[in-house]
Amino acid sequence: MRLTALAALVVGALTTTAVPAAAAWRGYISHPLGFAFAAPGKLEVEKGNYRGAVAGPRDTLVYRFVDDNIEFKAVVIDVSDKANDAATLLGEAEYNFQEGKKVLMDTFGRVDRQYGRKLTIDLPNNAGRATAAFYLINGRIIWLQATVLPANGDYDTPEMGRFVDSITFFTVRAEDDAIELPVPPK
Amino acid sequence: MCRWTIAAFAGVAITIAAMPARAEWKSYINRELGFSFMAPGEVKASVGTFRGAIAGPRQTIVYRSVEDNIEYKVTVMSFIQAQAEGATILGEREYMFQDKKKVLVDTFARVEPGKDSVYGRKIVVDLPDNKGRSTGAFYFTKGRLISLEATVLPANGDFASPDPGRFVDSIAFVLSRTEPGAVELETPKFE
Repeated sequence: MRLTALAALVVGALTTTAVPAAAAWRGYISHPLGFAFAAPGKLEVEKGNYRGAVAGPRDTLVYRFVDDNIEFKAVVIDVSDKANDAATLLGEAEYNFQEGKKVLMDTFGRVDRQYGRKLTIDLPNNAGRATAAFYLINGRIIWLQATVLPANGDYDTPEMGRFVDSITFFTVRAEDDAIELPVPPK
Repeated sequence: MCRWTIAAFAGVAITIAAMPARAEWKSYINRELGFSFMAPGEVKASVGTFRGAIAGPRQTIVYRSVEDNIEYKVTVMSFIQAQAEGATILGEREYMFQDKKKVLVDTFARVEPGKDSVYGRKIVVDLPDNKGRSTGAFYFTKGRLISLEATVLPANGDFASPDPGRFVDSIAFVLSRTEPGAVELETPKFE
């Protein structure tokens, strides 16, 4: 009996050791951009591109993290020169995200007096599952996206929801020790 | 045989005569507000009010008709000074439309092609207490929130009627698409 219990403990300990350590989640904040969120893993700052028929071609600022084969991205698109088309620009970004893909969820996002949209899609060719939230505030589209890659495979993980739901536009709601996001590269 | 045929034709004719006459659909246009739509029945203009937590208290312009126990309504609100908040104002309006109701459809809406596109949302809800089924389409363009709502009332009962869809899908913002001969709508003045 004692031997069986001991064996079970050893197996349990070995299993726990074999599971990859999940990175700690940290708070991030951008005072100039007016938002904060939480994410795990190492932060990378990138520039990207976005194009919409209404928005036209746009440079994007991307805060990107990868942890346990889940990619977390906060994308900022400056549309302040077309701010009067805010509703359509946000709708276009949401539409483009899901166009031609299998939509699993499409619902209201509501944070800090901002209405947006949350969507979950399956990527084509079994390339994974992505959950995204879209908001437009102060002339910028704020787009948070978490993508579970096939190498992870746990498409029901709560991490995607945790990431997109961590957004806040009231910076006082950010974590006390939130890290200030770096300024975009030139 | 001939008598039977005549009797059958007479039966059909009586049935058709007994059906309520369906009003003709007409095109309506408001060049000042920048949209057109189609609706049956007599469209009347009025002013109303709306209040949202973000939108605040607003006066509204309403174009309304009722035909065969279906209510058709276009509501216009001006946010010329708050166009940059359009996304959130639109989201709030859509949210309020479906709040605490049974949502049957909630999908993207897009009017006009390419760079002229106006993105919005189409939502179908069942009203509480079996008060009918409402189809709404919501857009925010050029500083105005434009809502189209068609409500099939219980007295009609045909909740799968295609008429609400025909109504909300008739909206146009590029007025060259509007049918020639559309009835010009006047813009009621607020007091």
